[in-house]
Amino acid sequence: MSWLKRFDSRLWAGAIAWLAFPVLLQAQSPELPPGPLQAKVRTACTECHDSHIIVQQRLNDKAWSKEVDKMIKWGALVDSSDRNAFVGYLSVNFPPNKAPEPEERAGPGKKK
Amino acid sequence: MLPRSIWAANLGVEVPGKAGMIVRSARFLDLETPGEFFDSWITPLPHFFVRNHMHEPSTWDPDSWNLSISGEVDHPLSLNLAELTKMETHTVTNTLECAGNGRAFQQPKVPGVQWQRGAVGTARFSGPRLRDLLQRAGIKATGKHVMFRGRDEVPGKVPPFVRSIPVEKATDADTLIATQMNGVPLPRHHGFPARALVPGWIGAASCKWLTEIKVLDQEFDGNFMKPGYRMPNHPVSPGGEVNLADTHAATSLGVKSIIAQPTEGSSMKSHSIRIHGAAWAGEAAVARLQISTDGGTTWSDARLGSQQARYAWRLWDHVWRPQRPGEYIIMSRATDDQGHTQPQSAAWNPSGYLYNAVDQVKVYVLA
Repeated sequence: MSWLKRFDSRLWAGAIAWLAFPVLLQAQSPELPPGPLQAKVRTACTECHDSHIIVQQRLNDKAWSKEVDKMIKWGALVDSSDRNAFVGYLSVNFPPNKAPEPEERAGPGKKK
Repeated sequence: MLPRSIWAANLGVEVPGKAGMIVRSARFLDLETPGEFFDSWITPLPHFFVRNHMHEPSTWDPDSWNLSISGEVDHPLSLNLAELTKMETHTVTNTLECAGNGRAFQQPKVPGVQWQRGAVGTARFSGPRLRDLLQRAGIKATGKHVMFRGRDEVPGKVPPFVRSIPVEKATDADTLIATQMNGVPLPRHHGFPARALVPGWIGAASCKWLTEIKVLDQEFDGNFMKPGYRMPNHPVSPGGEVNLADTHAATSLGVKSIIAQPTEGSSMKSHSIRIHGAAWAGEAAVARLQISTDGGTTWSDARLGSQQARYAWRLWDHVWRPQRPGEYIIMSRATDDQGHTQPQSAAWNPSGYLYNAVDQVKVYVLA
């Protein structure tokens, strides 16, 4: 049986109603490690994405250097005088030999 | 129901409809399916992984949605959702896997979402065939690739998520413009109201929140085709550099299996332990699944589940009766019907794509 034949207006209405719920995703971002660059990295990076994606990386300074340059190209606001310090901060705090981040699970959210 | 201890440890990120998923990123949303959810052939929508490269579209009005088809075609056209859903529908049961699934196991480490085993799921996708749309538009002889653009909202100067597939795959009878997933309208995290469904290929080929299809005279050359989602043409020494000119676009998934349970580091008292998981092979079929409980010295055939479909995984299980307490390495190894077997170690590449090494977990059997 074709699903489309059963995909009537009531189903669409239900889908739309469901989609009309406000976005309930409440993102709590992991804290970045303390240091002179903490605030600048937080500001520059979390403008576009939260810090989960940062703290799970385990990279050497060469790889962090590539990542920082890519993000600057993609719009991260990093003063050119801070570029090397960004790479240093990320390399020191998220190196290849650091243990993985603990697993985090999503909660169920609250319906309104 | 998940153990309460999991909730107690993780109260930070709330995702309605996706409770219990592993949070790899909250913004953009990237959710991984944990081992305990790999217990059904069709993955329930709440347990289906989410891979977003960008922000999801902030508006969701299906009445204003349109899908355009242009480029190397005789008759450019545009359809609204009602027109799309009037077309003949087909259903394909497909195992969708992110190209980066397993990236966390690459050595040396590579950048990107650190997926372990769970950026993969199987669903029934339904919608019109892409080739029916393309036939309506009439592909010119110059049309070689079919490009997809979605409504992902791009931050900063990030390049848009636009990719293309060869016209041969686009006109395959199983390549769809899916509007449903497991019999309901596509959920928002999975591309509402329509997405491409390119069966057997990396998840990135199946563009979500689709609004534009464009027939091109060559492969699309944007960031997410090059340098993104490229595979080296030749083996690369781990950690080595790759010349972009010596790469090709990642397409079909390889043969692969995962151990869903027991999970890494778990302890068990039972003298009869069920080992189970899933195995898939992209456009090929899984022919065999072997298990080792002695670190790869000896292998036994696992039982493949009866449910199967051309592009879908096979679930598998195996009952293990350890003779004595101790530490054990359990391994799973799949072979497809083309004779390809999972390698002991995956070919390294700078982005960790298509990781498919023999899966393994260390477990402890208690007295």
